[in-house]
Amino acid sequence: MKVEHIIEILDSTSLKNLSAEQLEIVQIHIRDCMSCESAYQAAKVSSRLIKERAQTTVEPSPFFQTRVMAAWHERQAMESTPVLSRLWKSAGALVSSMAVTTAALAALTFVIPAPISTSADETATTYSAESVLLGQTYDDQMSYDQVLSTIYVDGDEGK
Amino acid sequence: MEGWLTRIATNTCLNMLRSAKRRPELAVADLTEDETAWLGQQTSSVGYQPRSVEDTLIAADLADRVLEVLPVEDQLALLMIDGEDASVKEVAEATGWSESKVKVRAFRARKKLREAMEKLLTKGRKSQVGGPVTHES
Repeated sequence: MKVEHIIEILDSTSLKNLSAEQLEIVQIHIRDCMSCESAYQAAKVSSRLIKERAQTTVEPSPFFQTRVMAAWHERQAMESTPVLSRLWKSAGALVSSMAVTTAALAALTFVIPAPISTSADETATTYSAESVLLGQTYDDQMSYDQVLSTIYVDGDEGK
Repeated sequence: MEGWLTRIATNTCLNMLRSAKRRPELAVADLTEDETAWLGQQTSSVGYQPRSVEDTLIAADLADRVLEVLPVEDQLALLMIDGEDASVKEVAEATGWSESKVKVRAFRARKKLREAMEKLLTKGRKSQVGGPVTHES
């Protein structure tokens, strides 16, 4: 038979709040179960300790009132400030920086003109195989024969 | 207004308690003679009969020390519900927690406190019988 221990009942509520039925179950069970009897005794002492602790009056530390009042004033100030103002306080820096960045980008795009490129400029910057090989610019037009003779003369000199 | 102030005071208390250092466990060796005697009286066959203001103060001091093993939120839930007979709803209103959270915290606190007390009582009995007192910290 499965033994159902009563520890769950002990932890679920304060001992003084146990119903008569629950108390009877506990009393019957602890007669035969040593571990639950020990748990019941501990719960009883704990319950008394908590009760005694609640009965004693605690003098709050001198800083307690100051702290409570500070929290109170802070909350009151927060309540009196309009919502938009509070939002601006928390996110104002971020919104400002985003606005400045957007304005700078818009100025770069629309106000400052982009450099106009022409086809002549493009051809000037392109390189042909001849210019690379012979170290000559595209403007110095060479005939096919001139190119061949230059290559072969260079080759013969190498030998 | 009252609820508002209660919430502020409760949160201030919790913040102050959080700054205090928690003890991992209370050992029999850490108890004073008065506290050991008080515990011995609890488990005796005569039973507990509060006799003087001094007894109450000893118990309150011991409770403070035993409660230090619990997180401050659990201490608060346990002291309000089991000590001051506050309802779960009242604790929820004072702390801003949900009612289920209050119940869970109280359950957990009761369990931890019972387990700590069980250890203390078992070791106390052993030391009374003549066994060595274990020094745990």
